[in-house]
Amino acid sequence: MARKPEIIREHNLHHSFCGLVSVGWLYQKIKDSFFLILGTHTCAHLLQNTLGVMIFARPRFAVALMEEADLSSAQPALEAQIEAIRREHHPSVIFLLSSCTPEVIKVEFEGLAQSLSRPDLPVLFVPASGLDYTFSQAEDSVLQALLPLCPVSERDTPEIVFLGSVNDTIADDFAHEAACLGLPVAGFLPSNHMRDLPAIGPNTIIAPLHPYLARVANLLQQERGATVLSSLFPLGPDGTRMFWEDLARAFGQTIDLADREAAAWERLKTHTSLLKGKRIFLASDTLMEIPLARFLQACGCEIVECSTPYVNRRFHAHELSRLEEVRLVEQPDLHHQLERIDEIKPDLVIANIMSTNPLIGHGVLAKWSMEVAFMPIHGWAGSHTLISMFTLPMQRHAQLNARGTTVMDPLWTTGLMPSQQEHSA
Amino acid sequence: MRLAYWMYQGTAHYGIGRIANSLRNIHAVFHAPQGDAYINAVFAMLERTPAFPPLTTSVVSGRDLAQGNLRLPETLQAIDQQLHPELIVVAASCSTTLLQENLEVAAESADISAEVLIYDVNPYRVQEVAAADGLFTELVRRYATATPLTTQPSVNILGPASMGLHARHDLTALRRMLQTLGVQVNVVAPWGATLDDLRRLPAAWLNIAPYRELGQQAAQVLHEQFGTPSLCDAPIGVQPTLAWLHQLVEQLNSVGSKQNNPSEVMLPPLTAFSLDGLSTPSSVPWFVRTADMESFSRRRMFVFGDATHVAGMTRFLHDELGTQICGAGTYLPDQADWLREQLAEYVDDLLVTEEFQVTAQRIEELQPDLVCGTQMERHTARKLGLQCMVIAPPMHIENHPLSYRPFLGFDGADVIADQIYMTSTLGMEQHLIDMFGDAGLEVPPMPETEPVLPLVDPVLPAVPLTEESPTPAAPVKGAPLADDEPVEWQPDAEAMMKKIPFFVRNKARRNIEQYARAQGYRVITTQIVLEAREHVGG
Repeated sequence: MARKPEIIREHNLHHSFCGLVSVGWLYQKIKDSFFLILGTHTCAHLLQNTLGVMIFARPRFAVALMEEADLSSAQPALEAQIEAIRREHHPSVIFLLSSCTPEVIKVEFEGLAQSLSRPDLPVLFVPASGLDYTFSQAEDSVLQALLPLCPVSERDTPEIVFLGSVNDTIADDFAHEAACLGLPVAGFLPSNHMRDLPAIGPNTIIAPLHPYLARVANLLQQERGATVLSSLFPLGPDGTRMFWEDLARAFGQTIDLADREAAAWERLKTHTSLLKGKRIFLASDTLMEIPLARFLQACGCEIVECSTPYVNRRFHAHELSRLEEVRLVEQPDLHHQLERIDEIKPDLVIANIMSTNPLIGHGVLAKWSMEVAFMPIHGWAGSHTLISMFTLPMQRHAQLNARGTTVMDPLWTTGLMPSQQEHSA
Repeated sequence: MRLAYWMYQGTAHYGIGRIANSLRNIHAVFHAPQGDAYINAVFAMLERTPAFPPLTTSVVSGRDLAQGNLRLPETLQAIDQQLHPELIVVAASCSTTLLQENLEVAAESADISAEVLIYDVNPYRVQEVAAADGLFTELVRRYATATPLTTQPSVNILGPASMGLHARHDLTALRRMLQTLGVQVNVVAPWGATLDDLRRLPAAWLNIAPYRELGQQAAQVLHEQFGTPSLCDAPIGVQPTLAWLHQLVEQLNSVGSKQNNPSEVMLPPLTAFSLDGLSTPSSVPWFVRTADMESFSRRRMFVFGDATHVAGMTRFLHDELGTQICGAGTYLPDQADWLREQLAEYVDDLLVTEEFQVTAQRIEELQPDLVCGTQMERHTARKLGLQCMVIAPPMHIENHPLSYRPFLGFDGADVIADQIYMTSTLGMEQHLIDMFGDAGLEVPPMPETEPVLPLVDPVLPAVPLTEESPTPAAPVKGAPLADDEPVEWQPDAEAMMKKIPFFVRNKARRNIEQYARAQGYRVITTQIVLEAREHVGG
């Protein structure tokens, strides 16, 4: 492998979410689940504001609200809440998520979850607090919690378990693709329903779909003796080709998907022609930054910086090997990022939800990264959606700049920022 | 411990953020785990701030806790060097407050040029409103300095803030009226104020503080320390605005006479307050007297929210639109006594609750024609097939309209009346429909992710008409039934209901069922429908 890319570590003065936000997609993915957060008003307010739109859909998540009186008893009593959830939602599993306050007062979650578990309704502890986890990482915790419920596979021939929550269309796509290549599939972790959890054993080949699942991948290897595929993540034609070629190799097959990749790029030509030579700055926090940078580079972009909350050198090894020339920053400092953005003047900044509007107001073309977590961007079929995420803001702003008003003129934001209101004394 | 799905008020640190995002050249630093930075997203996305909200989370990680590492001094130094704020407000989060750290000492060790204020609130006792008002009051107390009064009559406007409901619009409405009166605005705070502005607050002749939730405590402090009088009424509605204007003029002139200031503030002809300066300042008084508005007089309204808007809207709906008030309430327990007193003539049992399920229950019981509430009541109303207008925070992305939509002043009265009118079913239209059936207007109910609460149990089969009983059986009367006991509908009674306009059908159905239960009928026949109509109308 090529030389190790240098990773600059800053001091994390950056806005980001905690692990609880991953509930937003996980409760929808695992359809017979309920997510119970042991937390405070802050957790409830966070969920309400970040997943707020979903209050209309009778969410299968709630906060067991710790109030002042609850702080004195180290082991909270949750039986009544569990009973209420069972009655109203009839879930097959309850994930009990930790948050900062119970972590600080040292609630013993493993024991708590165990004591609440019933044979017909397991309660699984999921570490998710902002003290330790950024938002996409909590999916890793959820999958780790599910592992004991996955049957042990006794098969003596290899089969695939895809790792990571994807929607049904993408899942069908991957299952279909594997079938075409003659690769047997045991299932997906997580599955849509608890009854469909895949069997995992020494002959399982774990194919990670998301770049933020390093810990559960490790655990699958240690506890079940499974093999974890080490490849690119199946994002973009380049990543998807290598993913399938490497996956086939794990079954002793050599396949060449060069034509398939070329055809995929050909279909994306109008997009790549727009992206070619564009200078992109990744400043988001989804933990998908490294594969996205690799994909954008393959699109012909120059990656002027890729910053991300954490880099896992082993799990991201192949991805990192493609980013040798790229400036990589871990735990970035927002202020320093802004200085570099001012200096470099990138064509597009991929930013988190806290920074996107202010960056646009600052005269920078920015795209919010949140969608990455919610869009079907995986595999051959997802490539178009993926690349559109980057070209859409460019096209949109170009269209507006052509005859509309340019936001660069501070006139159009005058008086809109409360703390910058000019004072008429 | 209770299960919380949704909260009316935000957290203390969100309240602090609202003040920091309103004032100029100050910064808030939260000693908190990383997830607490979600409030940055709330400001940047909901308020669509074109600049970075001045809020930084000085991240506390599990590793920091294990190693006894406190990053706060380093963060304060970074903010100080990079952004040069005049003041940094430091607050702990719900989790770090339990660590019992001495942030005062940590902040001192940072040794920075910005002033540092450790704002010590208990996040388990204090929520958004009290934290925001408390911090603002503390800052006013800290900075306001004795200053000679302005030579010309002037006011401070205290209360408009980031993430206040239509705060920018209200501010415009107030400014417009003051301009028409020829009264200067000395300082607006917290919205857009610097610390220097806070210092010169005592130069104003009068403080205008229209919101119960923010600014009135600060006005009180300015009154106690500098003798500045204040006007704390909220000019919501036409008559309250007129009274407010008279009060304003009187209070300013009273200050003026003590100053031996010869220039009196005069109330100009009221047309001067209209948008073109030539017309009526508000169309509400005429509008409400027009013929079709009579249908509003029997409509029953339910109002729920914060204190200011609930008080103002309830009075406006009753006094100026001539509707009936069937209930009101607030999610601010601290304001309950004040609100109860304000609305003594309008409601007998003010609902005070922080749990939206309780409010939903009340709405379901009351079945009002219009609900004025928060986004959650809008949701509740939709489930129940009722109309709703949002009149109070918490703020939703839809509560940041681009066009001028104040609640205050004459402008506000017109805006609110329009909103109520357009939210409700119309008067004449309703008469026609009532007369002739639904005129083909029936539309299927809005698709919902969950069914609208069934008003009769849908699994209950209709009584089949068998050959043995070609005519419906005579009503069987027994002892009165309990409220939750099911009653059956015979098919022809059911068919009769179809002739009732769809938007009042559910209500009529409830009334009939209620009547049937009271009379002890278990099976509803056409005869009972007719009987019930005679008794309860509908």
